[in-house]
Amino acid sequence: MPLMEISGLERHYDMASGVVRALDGIDLEIEKGERIVLLGPSGSGKTTLLNCVAALDSPTSGTYSFAGKDVPREKSEEMTTFRRENIGYVFQFFNLLQDLTVLENILLIQELSGGRDKDRALELLKLVGLESEVDRFPAEISGGQQQRVAIARSLAKSPKLLLGDELTGNLDSKTSEMVMEVLVKACEAEDITTIMVTHDEKLSQYATRVIRLDSGKIVSDEKVNQ
Amino acid sequence: MSMLLTKRLARSLWRTKLRLSAVVFMVAVGVFAGISFGTYANAATSLYDGIYDGEDGINLADIWVENPSGVWNESASENICSSIENDWPDSNYKLESCEPRLILDGMMFTSDSSGDEKPIPAVWHGIDEGLVDKVWMPTYSELSSGRIAENSDEIVLDSHVAKALEIEVEDTIEISSGYGKSTYKVVGIGFHSMHLYFATEGSSIPAEAGTFATGYMTDEGLEALANLSAGSSNMILIDLEGSPVYDLQSTTELNENPELTKLVNDISALMYVVDDSPVSVYDRSGVFSVELLRADAEGASKMYPYVTGMIAAIAGITIFLSLQRLIQSQAKEIAVLRTLGVPKMAIMPGYIIAPLFIGLFGSVVGILLGIYFGAPGMLSFYEDIIGLPIRYETDYALVSQIVIIAMIIVLLAGIRPAWQASRLQPLKVFRGQHEVKVSSRKLQRLTSKLPATVGLSIRSSLRKPMRVGFTFFAVGISMLLFGAMLFMMNSMEDSLLGNIKDKQSWDVQASAPIGGEDTVIEWVGESEGQYELLINFPIGLVDDNRELLAYGLDDFSTMDDKSSMISVELLDGKLPAPNSVVTQVLIDQGTSEFLGWNTGDEVSIMVGNTMHNVEITGITKGEVSRTIYFHRVDLSGLTGIESTSILIQLPDGTSLDGLSDITVGYSLKSDSIKTFESLLEQQQQFISSVQFLGIIIAIAVLFNTLLMNLAERDTELATLRVLGAPMKKIGKMMFWEHLGIGLIGGILGAIFAFFGTVLLIQSQVQWAFYFTIEPQFAATFTIVGIITAISIALTPVGMWRISKMDLVDKVKDLSQ
Repeated sequence: MPLMEISGLERHYDMASGVVRALDGIDLEIEKGERIVLLGPSGSGKTTLLNCVAALDSPTSGTYSFAGKDVPREKSEEMTTFRRENIGYVFQFFNLLQDLTVLENILLIQELSGGRDKDRALELLKLVGLESEVDRFPAEISGGQQQRVAIARSLAKSPKLLLGDELTGNLDSKTSEMVMEVLVKACEAEDITTIMVTHDEKLSQYATRVIRLDSGKIVSDEKVNQ
Repeated sequence: MSMLLTKRLARSLWRTKLRLSAVVFMVAVGVFAGISFGTYANAATSLYDGIYDGEDGINLADIWVENPSGVWNESASENICSSIENDWPDSNYKLESCEPRLILDGMMFTSDSSGDEKPIPAVWHGIDEGLVDKVWMPTYSELSSGRIAENSDEIVLDSHVAKALEIEVEDTIEISSGYGKSTYKVVGIGFHSMHLYFATEGSSIPAEAGTFATGYMTDEGLEALANLSAGSSNMILIDLEGSPVYDLQSTTELNENPELTKLVNDISALMYVVDDSPVSVYDRSGVFSVELLRADAEGASKMYPYVTGMIAAIAGITIFLSLQRLIQSQAKEIAVLRTLGVPKMAIMPGYIIAPLFIGLFGSVVGILLGIYFGAPGMLSFYEDIIGLPIRYETDYALVSQIVIIAMIIVLLAGIRPAWQASRLQPLKVFRGQHEVKVSSRKLQRLTSKLPATVGLSIRSSLRKPMRVGFTFFAVGISMLLFGAMLFMMNSMEDSLLGNIKDKQSWDVQASAPIGGEDTVIEWVGESEGQYELLINFPIGLVDDNRELLAYGLDDFSTMDDKSSMISVELLDGKLPAPNSVVTQVLIDQGTSEFLGWNTGDEVSIMVGNTMHNVEITGITKGEVSRTIYFHRVDLSGLTGIESTSILIQLPDGTSLDGLSDITVGYSLKSDSIKTFESLLEQQQQFISSVQFLGIIIAIAVLFNTLLMNLAERDTELATLRVLGAPMKKIGKMMFWEHLGIGLIGGILGAIFAFFGTVLLIQSQVQWAFYFTIEPQFAATFTIVGIITAISIALTPVGMWRISKMDLVDKVKDLSQ
């Protein structure tokens, strides 16, 4: 059974200039363990698709199931629970909490999700190569390190699916490579499926599948690096 | 300065309408309160000046010579005045006139609701309408009417009494002064300087309506009532040319007019030669009503700039914090403008003009509210309390003064944010470095053992220590308004009500006519009651025109045993022993503070014209007036008086029939208690209004800061929501955070309110009116509770805000 099944997914926005079809009939099946890179020009619908997959946004129509169950799209708290139980999210600007140390940023998510597990938090930091920075504040480490902390944070509650929105968009190419390597390593170690939205074609080298979108539609979907 | 930039700023401010209106509200409240209190202070000052020395005034005497223990006959009275005229001391002041006056205690007979006769204690003045200290009958007020008494069966009744008992001109009243009742026709309703502040002798609060009476008749009229010979007097009024300033009792170091003090001392010495009676000589500061009203007006004049300043300071702090937040949220726009070459000086003016506009708008609202509601309301409230007619005129100088204070404060509040805005470094802003600040390592260490949620709450609350500090300061000031009322009223209740309710166990205090004590004692015996004799006598100080009220008690007891009818609360030392070689006394805490006298000191006092040394064995607590306690046997030896009144305890339900026939007058303890309770009730509306104002301001200040804190944490909270943090947990985190802020703010607010009130009271206490503020658990708990409740009340607002957060939009922000 695929991890995700999406069928006829549409997301429309009513604008002053008329209806914008951000997603216009997306059909997609994603298997466990895949590393997907979503590519496409600005306004192609990549982020909207990511938001719908993350249950941050509610599609206008279509179906979306995750591990065989329909994904909630009406009630905010049900959508939050779905995210908490299944989704990890990495932002472009890391969004670490500046008042908490590297370690505490991970512990916080554990506490809010139900259980604090310091050993696992330290293990994750070791996995992303930051075991020596646990007591530093985010402002005291580099951007690449911050993004690695963000990856560790998103893995803290063992999600089934990790989503990243331009997660290397704020990093130089060398750092981007390092972060992606860490991400691939971590996701393989934790057996996590990933979807990454990006403009950067180079990230395709880390993917097992590349999907291209344009005007809200999938224009190509190919397996790579198999 | 670009109009477009200013327009942009105005629009940004308009987007924060709720916070903007809170700031305007606070400026308006500051101006409103300033105008209301200031008008009251000015009206009170000009009222008393007008009454005492104005064209239609009463020509208040400058020096009083009082005989508290007896009455001078005609020849003695004339002899005193002629001696004063002939042997006028060497002084720069010239004598204008010397006038004998007769003032006697008595009773007025009214009816209670069931139609039974009800005697009430009274003071009657026999006034030879001469040049000095006349009856005040302002023609502009409905509170006075008729004419002065011209015939011996006519009386002018004090307006306070006439209003309370609904007596009008042409009515007749039945009164006495020791020797039977007489009927007098009311020909006028007016006021007298000694009773403008309408309190019974020895009391610091206005008498309850219908429990005390005063009236002003001809000297022949009062002589006839008291069965005294023509020309009798017990007071000599001395009027000097001009109106000399006098020593203010509230100041200890400075004697405002040593020349007048010397004259008072010289006349005192002269009286020692002229007459045997122990007399008391004093200037205006010795007349309780005059001194108290002066002190009250002075206190109000001192107070209103502080009240305005305090509220305007809160407004200033709120403006300061709001502008800082605005600049923070506009940092990127400002950075873009700076990058495009807009000079610093073009950025700055808008942020200075904004608070000025807020101040101006708030001031206009405050002026309108103050002139049309606050000031008339305040004067009407004051009129109700003291029962004097007060003319209200808008004082534009005062209004300008208040607005200037408010505008200066709001201008100062805008300067730093404007300066900060103009100095933002575009590069830093674009890199986000202006917002990122490394959290305190010390704080991190302190909270590292706590759960991350708790650590985050603490650290993010303290992220902007200046904001938190200013907020707590502003909350503290607003709690000063609320708490001062709470602490003051509780302390006053303890002092005034507790003093009579808990420390005194008599039911009736009766004044017997000279030599008539035995008859009263016999009556007490027949009524199966108990009695104690009491001497009340004014005690002077050496080279100081202030006076103490001496209590000569039959027996002393403390609050622990309460075995006598008047108990004392000892703050220090021990009870005095009778018949000691050096007379032993207790003094009250206020006397100790003002004169620097302490337990164990041997000090000199003046009893009449004679100096005596006494030893202070202890200091008592809770007396509002300056008091010195003697054993009656000792005081009697010094004054030659056996007693001035009789304290009586009676079995429940004992009728007082016949007591009025054998006494000059009597008062009931229950009336004194009612008097205070009714004063409290009267003031309740005012107190509640000020308290309400304090709470509203505290709500506005706390909400403003907490909303800013929440708004600044949008990114954080959105991140947590996107990562799946449940609302319940975020709500719980926010609750504990607000609880913590509330508790800390509340405790700081209570401390601020307490010490602020102590300082406020220290600046307001006078020789005539002293009391201290004690820490009170209930008041402290109330303040902490209110602030905590306000703070916690913001949790649902924060939750609502997060629940309404558009996560898709936020994610967009987080990814851009």
